[in-house]
Amino acid sequence: MYVALHNLLHDRLRFALNVLGVALAVMLVLFLLGLEQGLRLQVTAYLRQAPGSIAVTQAGVDSFGGGSSLLPPGLEEDLRQVPGVAKVVPVLTQTAIFDLHDKKIFAFLIGYDPALGGGPWRIGEGREPRERGEVVFDRVLARLHGVRVGDTVEVQGQKFPVVGLSEGTASWMTALVFVRKADLESYLLTPGLSSLALVTPAPGVAPEALRARLKGLPGVEVWLKSELIESDLRLYQAFFKPVRLMSLIAFLVGTLVVGLVIYSATVERQREYGVLKALGARNARLYGLVLAQALAVAALGSLSGILLGFAAARLVLALRPQILVALEPGVVGLTLLTGLFMALLAAWLPARLVAGLAPAEVFRR
Amino acid sequence: MRTERAATLRVQNLSKRYGSGETAVQAVKGVSLEVSPGEIVLIMGPSGSGKTTLLSMLGALLRPTEGRIELDGLVLSELSEGRLPDIRLRHFGFVFQDFNLLSALSALDNVAIVAELAGLGRKAARARARALLEELGLGARLHFLPEQLSGGEKQRVAIARALVNEPALLLADEPTANLDSHHGHETMRLLRRIAKEQGKSVLIVSHDARIQDIADRVLWLEDGEFKEMRSLATDPVCGMTVEREKAVSAQWEGKSYYFCCRGCREEFLAGPQRFGKATARERE
Ligand SMILES: Nc1ncnc2c1ncn2[C@@H]1O[C@H](COP(=O)(O)OP(=O)(O)O)[C@@H](O)[C@H]1O
Ligand SMILES: [Mg+2]
Repeated sequence: MYVALHNLLHDRLRFALNVLGVALAVMLVLFLLGLEQGLRLQVTAYLRQAPGSIAVTQAGVDSFGGGSSLLPPGLEEDLRQVPGVAKVVPVLTQTAIFDLHDKKIFAFLIGYDPALGGGPWRIGEGREPRERGEVVFDRVLARLHGVRVGDTVEVQGQKFPVVGLSEGTASWMTALVFVRKADLESYLLTPGLSSLALVTPAPGVAPEALRARLKGLPGVEVWLKSELIESDLRLYQAFFKPVRLMSLIAFLVGTLVVGLVIYSATVERQREYGVLKALGARNARLYGLVLAQALAVAALGSLSGILLGFAAARLVLALRPQILVALEPGVVGLTLLTGLFMALLAAWLPARLVAGLAPAEVFRR
Repeated sequence: MRTERAATLRVQNLSKRYGSGETAVQAVKGVSLEVSPGEIVLIMGPSGSGKTTLLSMLGALLRPTEGRIELDGLVLSELSEGRLPDIRLRHFGFVFQDFNLLSALSALDNVAIVAELAGLGRKAARARARALLEELGLGARLHFLPEQLSGGEKQRVAIARALVNEPALLLADEPTANLDSHHGHETMRLLRRIAKEQGKSVLIVSHDARIQDIADRVLWLEDGEFKEMRSLATDPVCGMTVEREKAVSAQWEGKSYYFCCRGCREEFLAGPQRFGKATARERE
């Protein structure tokens, strides 16, 4: 295999350029995969953190973040009567436009009862709302627009004092803003209504079993929380698709780079492969040589690409904190696999070229 | 039963046809040949006469259309395709006109890799390669890349590579064509020493008449067949072997000189005394 290494290192500049090309492609793949993962995490953040394992929506509504759901009045009491139900947390949600100084921004208002839960899960600064009209604002959104604890934000003329800043609630679309449910009810003129009920089963009761029991309730849809999360992700599929397409393009470009590099290096040394073949090297050995070169370029490129990807994620975090690039171990692993696959794919054509060489050609000039 | 030593290589009625139909080229036609251990056979002939084709078939690089090739009792022409690489690796040593060294590897690695291909460990392969190169006078060049070696040195590395798996037969195609006459001669003497000291058979294909000195036997291939040795002469200008019958000729001081082309003849006539020492070789 040292032949492969020597071949690669013989032309150092080209080798460096190749590694750079692969690194850029891998960086892009990693970044985009991380971006997609970040989008998913943001979209599902509330439901993942919310209490309970069962979620009840209005019949016909198939997402938490997308549609407006209103539960039948009195449903919470009905739910509490069902045996096996330990806790019911109602929340009321509404997309709202905030007037911040001279700017208008979208946010997703979540009305919750601080005594029951369903509010912010991590408060970085300040406290939960206690008094009328108090809100907890997403920290990233607040920072972007210069909102601080103690400021007042406005929604259609109504004033809401900001008493806390929450973390993990940012989004590239609509960040979360928390308010007491009673206040949101009066603001929306929907006294006593809820959008969603989060149900916690009693100890020893399986969520699936409880869901089956709740299914009979009229006018509602009963979900395992995990199913509703899946359903939400399907709703946002349209956003993931372009990102995924870009990852695919980055992958293809990367493969093309490694492929061209290895191919041209192979063509250049075609005669030498022919010589090895004439001297008695089997095809398998020559494939090994080609593959080793592809792998070396891909491995080095992938590692540098991953480092670059982390750097890019940092940069994005600094410049656009509302965009989450989630470089989780799974994403990094997938990227490494991508790099490996690039190498295999890239080695395929050169390997065929080598396989096709006629050993007698060594005597020709 | 033969009474002489068994031949290393025995070729019977070997033919090669390239292509088919109207465009078919019959490159080698029913050639038979035997080479004994330690014997140096030189096959000469004009360009396009089928020398390379013949050598490729003998080296298990090319399948004959017809005929039988037997090497040390092994019938090559009957072996499956899959066995040929191994035969080439262990039974033949190849020497090429343009050396064909691997450009990214040192002289040592160029030789060692072929021993490794044959299954030797890296260390043992390098040790054997080192010993061979030292024997061929390249002890100070072990870690040089081919581009840093002279033509003669490159060819010696190639010869070391050809010998590293201890083959019975060396096959060389125009081994001196890319060397000046000094290094060409040196290479030929080396091949002769190897043949005589180690009992290896050497089969050389060339149109370089200067090689004839060291050969035990010279064969003339023309139009794919062995022919009677014609009356050959060496062009005093370029050193090529030419057939008297077909060559351009000139007289100088009562002797006949033969040339590959008019250009050489004119160069000769412009100053014959410069080439005076190179006399026409006579062959019957
Ligand atoms: N691969 C090939 N396909 C078709 N014709 C070939 C091929 N190789 C050689 N030939 C033809 O076979 C003849 C002998 O060629 P070659 O063995 O190379 O002769 P030499 O080595 O004596 O110059 C020539 O006419 C050449 O054109
Ligand atoms: Mg030839």
